[in-house]
Amino acid sequence: MRGWQRWLGSGLAVVVLAAGLSATATVAPAGAANSTTCPLDALKKAGKPIQITMWHSMTRQNEATLQQLTDRFNSSQSDVKVNLVNQIDYVQTFNKYKAGLSSGDLPDIVQLQETDQQQMIDTQTVLPASVCAKADKYSFSDFLPRVTSYFTVGKTQYAMPFNTSGPVLYYNKKAFSAAGLDPNTPPKTLDDVRADAEKLKTSGVSAPLGLKTDPGFFEHWRALASKTYVNNNNGRSARATKTVYDDALGRQIFTWMSGMVKDGLATTNPDLGTGTFDNLLGIQSGTHAMAIDTSAALGTIKSVLSGGTVSNVELGVAPMPAPSASAKGGVLVSGGELFMVNKSSPAKQAAAWKYLKFLDQPDSLTTWAIGTGYLPIRKSAADSAPMQQYWAQNPEFKVAYDQLLNGPNNVATSGSVIGNYTGARDALRDAENSMFLEGKDPKSALKDAGSNATSAIDDYNSKIGV
Amino acid sequence: MSVEADARALHRRRRWGKVGRYALLTVLAVIVIFPIYITIVNSLLRPVDITRQPPKLFPTDPQWHSYADAWNAGHMGTYLKNSFIVTFVITTGQVVTAILAGYAFAFLDFPFKRTLFVVFLATLMVPFEVTIVTNVATISDLGWYNTYAGLAVPFLATGFGAFLMRQAFLTLPHDLRDAAALDGYGHWRFLWRVAVPLARPAVGALTVFAFLAAWNQYLWPLLITKDDKLRTVQIGLKQLQQVSIDQINITFAGAVIAVVPLVILLLFFQKQLVRGLTAGAVKG
Amino acid sequence: MATTELPTGTPASAPAPPRPLSPARRRLRRRERGLAYLLLIPSLVVFGVFVFWPLVHNVYLGFFRNPPFPGLPKHYVGFDQYREVLGSQTFFDSVKTTFLFAILTVPAGIALGLGLAVLAHQQLRGIGIYRTLFSSTVATSVAVAAVVFGTLMNPSVGLLPWLGLTTNPTILQNPTWALVAVAVVTVWQTLGLTFILMASGLQSVPDELFEAAKVDGAGAWSRFWHVTLPMMSPTIFFAVVIGTIFAFQSFGQIDILTQGGPLKKTNVLTYYIYDTLQRQSDPGKAAVLAVALFFLTLILALLQIRLLERRVSYER
Repeated sequence: MRGWQRWLGSGLAVVVLAAGLSATATVAPAGAANSTTCPLDALKKAGKPIQITMWHSMTRQNEATLQQLTDRFNSSQSDVKVNLVNQIDYVQTFNKYKAGLSSGDLPDIVQLQETDQQQMIDTQTVLPASVCAKADKYSFSDFLPRVTSYFTVGKTQYAMPFNTSGPVLYYNKKAFSAAGLDPNTPPKTLDDVRADAEKLKTSGVSAPLGLKTDPGFFEHWRALASKTYVNNNNGRSARATKTVYDDALGRQIFTWMSGMVKDGLATTNPDLGTGTFDNLLGIQSGTHAMAIDTSAALGTIKSVLSGGTVSNVELGVAPMPAPSASAKGGVLVSGGELFMVNKSSPAKQAAAWKYLKFLDQPDSLTTWAIGTGYLPIRKSAADSAPMQQYWAQNPEFKVAYDQLLNGPNNVATSGSVIGNYTGARDALRDAENSMFLEGKDPKSALKDAGSNATSAIDDYNSKIGV
Repeated sequence: MSVEADARALHRRRRWGKVGRYALLTVLAVIVIFPIYITIVNSLLRPVDITRQPPKLFPTDPQWHSYADAWNAGHMGTYLKNSFIVTFVITTGQVVTAILAGYAFAFLDFPFKRTLFVVFLATLMVPFEVTIVTNVATISDLGWYNTYAGLAVPFLATGFGAFLMRQAFLTLPHDLRDAAALDGYGHWRFLWRVAVPLARPAVGALTVFAFLAAWNQYLWPLLITKDDKLRTVQIGLKQLQQVSIDQINITFAGAVIAVVPLVILLLFFQKQLVRGLTAGAVKG
Repeated sequence: MATTELPTGTPASAPAPPRPLSPARRRLRRRERGLAYLLLIPSLVVFGVFVFWPLVHNVYLGFFRNPPFPGLPKHYVGFDQYREVLGSQTFFDSVKTTFLFAILTVPAGIALGLGLAVLAHQQLRGIGIYRTLFSSTVATSVAVAAVVFGTLMNPSVGLLPWLGLTTNPTILQNPTWALVAVAVVTVWQTLGLTFILMASGLQSVPDELFEAAKVDGAGAWSRFWHVTLPMMSPTIFFAVVIGTIFAFQSFGQIDILTQGGPLKKTNVLTYYIYDTLQRQSDPGKAAVLAVALFFLTLILALLQIRLLERRVSYER
């Protein structure tokens, strides 16, 4: 044994030494930039059909609708053929994209999470949508203002909006009635939620609110009170360098969340892993009577509830409760975004633009919204006969859309742009969990969230050299 | 007490002892098998019934279409094919490299033999996760990103396999090689004509082992594939895991689909697996 | 006589004892060398490229602070990153979690596997069916196990509320129970393998030993304690070493069930590496963690061999 241990020991010493010696390699500087021109003409000159690839992050059900739209596009013309590639989820998609930045294996269009916006811009590989819109005389005026403002950073709209959702309050009307509450008056503020929860608890609902530890909710509540999340106008006038949410509003929200859990009015479930749907399942099983979640889950929960005889549940959908009645703000845009990649050949870039225009046509958006539960992000799509008819039959699907029209459009409701959104959200999630799971007091939890998120932002900014 | 009564009491105790033992075994077997059973049940229920309280323990109205959904919409068909190809290549590769290396260590003398053997064993102590950072880069540099080669090549040799085959070869009678040499057998012919056939149990064990490990790979295929054409069954499960709660039955159907090939394999090769584990642990 | 052969380089696994060389063999020796290397080359190439080179390269990568995505310059920071990462609370907690996970899974897994093996080691009609059932989880993967248990452990719809087993916060969101839950999944998934290992170890124990003990009037417990356990010690030893290495490599169940949460309470080193590499896109930091994981596995394996080997009874 001694002998081979010694051998291994000296071997490792050599390994460390060799690594130290070779650690003097240089690296290539970056010289790329996001495009400022759109090669529209390249499509005419190129040999047809042009094959392009889009990496997407949709679940299997939503993928089916996306494929249906894409088939429609592919068969409607002969210039461009689009090939969809499923990358499992947003995290995997962006990882594969980053890997492609060094290997060259990149798609022509990539679908990322809305929060990846700044980092994608930082990769300097974007053909901004607004650049092509300008060259093509394409107008975004029909789009919902909240949507275009979310995707506009420093006067450039980099991404094409497509799959947009918003947070809503799901509640069980029957539980409300049983607790002596009006089933048609859902809570409008966080205080209302608490008051209703107390009554529901008395009537026998064991944990009235299913509170998912999704750090995005806090961001929505900031926006609903027209308060920014990071400095420099939410990172829209200059790069964000620190969080600004350790204030009275932040403390109010944290105290409210902590109180709900401490007093047995809410139980939490994770926003990652298998427990993601526990809040919604809790409504079905009767554990919860309320839960906040994305409007994109509506189709799912409806089909579960309608699949059998769940007699004690009647689903209600309401706008996300605001921090206070006097809060004048609006919820943020959630969901995904489509980026055109400027590493592709000019003809492919032009082809990508053509496809994206198709996806955002009013009739495409209507098909998309009805098929998936995402929101129609153009007024004309919302006004279209099929959409109106659908909403008339399923009014609860309209709640998130109406909510997106409410309130002013300012830097707070446009949402924050942060390079390291993952790090910022991790800090917020950890702080919330330390409050819920370890009984940390809300004030210091919020303080930790703010400072840890700031150092995550700092770390990112220093690494990309800004 | 009479002798007769005594004997009767003993007999009764034995019988009850036997019943007790069966009862204990059955309870334990039910506990072990229950998660698999409930998965099969859940795959045949409607989503709304899966989430029912108390749980349904038997599918009164089996929804067989969830298997078709997992197969088509979940791409489990393609994924199964990929898993088979990759697993086949890895298993074959591991068995061949292990036979070659095991033979060298067992039958040949050469400088640094001891050192090299330690090198082989040392690979067992390098968790695969340790190597992923570099291996992903290596695979893309080789142009094998999102290819069968990328999925399989890093696993074509294992220290464990070489060790297992060496042990097996060492148990062969020592003068066998000399006798074969006198008959004019070279090493190559001796290896394939004599040594391998005699070490068949170990080869079988290694095959089953390699198959299991390759089939169940999770992290590497997740990192090294980028489209549905190349993904394996386990990744398919991760994807199905992300379907929403109204399709949860499909996730379970996918889990069953992922398990079936292994069940079939093990029904045929249980003996080899047992023998392989024994060879790894104890050599009597 | 039984000797224990470990894949970890104990004295017992030294090369075969020298055998007398015939003149024919002596003449062939030179050609043998060439042949030997030729036979080893396929394995060595794979190991070199995919095992040892990454080890070296990791150490190197750890000297650089990486940008969040490729294309930007990375900065040489020497050992700064090592100090930073290895000195951090997160790393310390992760190591703690990793050890805790091994402690939760390895002894319990072996105890259960051995227990079932002892129970199944009796002359009963139909015992083969039980053996097959006990070894059945060998057909599952960690992904399958995680999918299955993810639902079983669901707080509102699974089996747990039905059985009255609920925790607040819910089990996978509970800082105290999440790691235990993941450990249970792991123990179940590996139970088939452990059972087969233990059962076959038991089969190689001569029956006369049990009979002799029975004749001496030893009870079931005493027989287990004085005959089974000592005779099984080489198998158990093997299972401990391999089981620990496996436990240190667990990943899939954590990725599917908890993603390292809640509050990083299931953030074992492998998941930490993956999270750093994939979600944080930081290969430099991931490399540092990988180097640490390697040394931890190495030290632990050597320690186990030293401490446990002495207690193992080789004589029969």
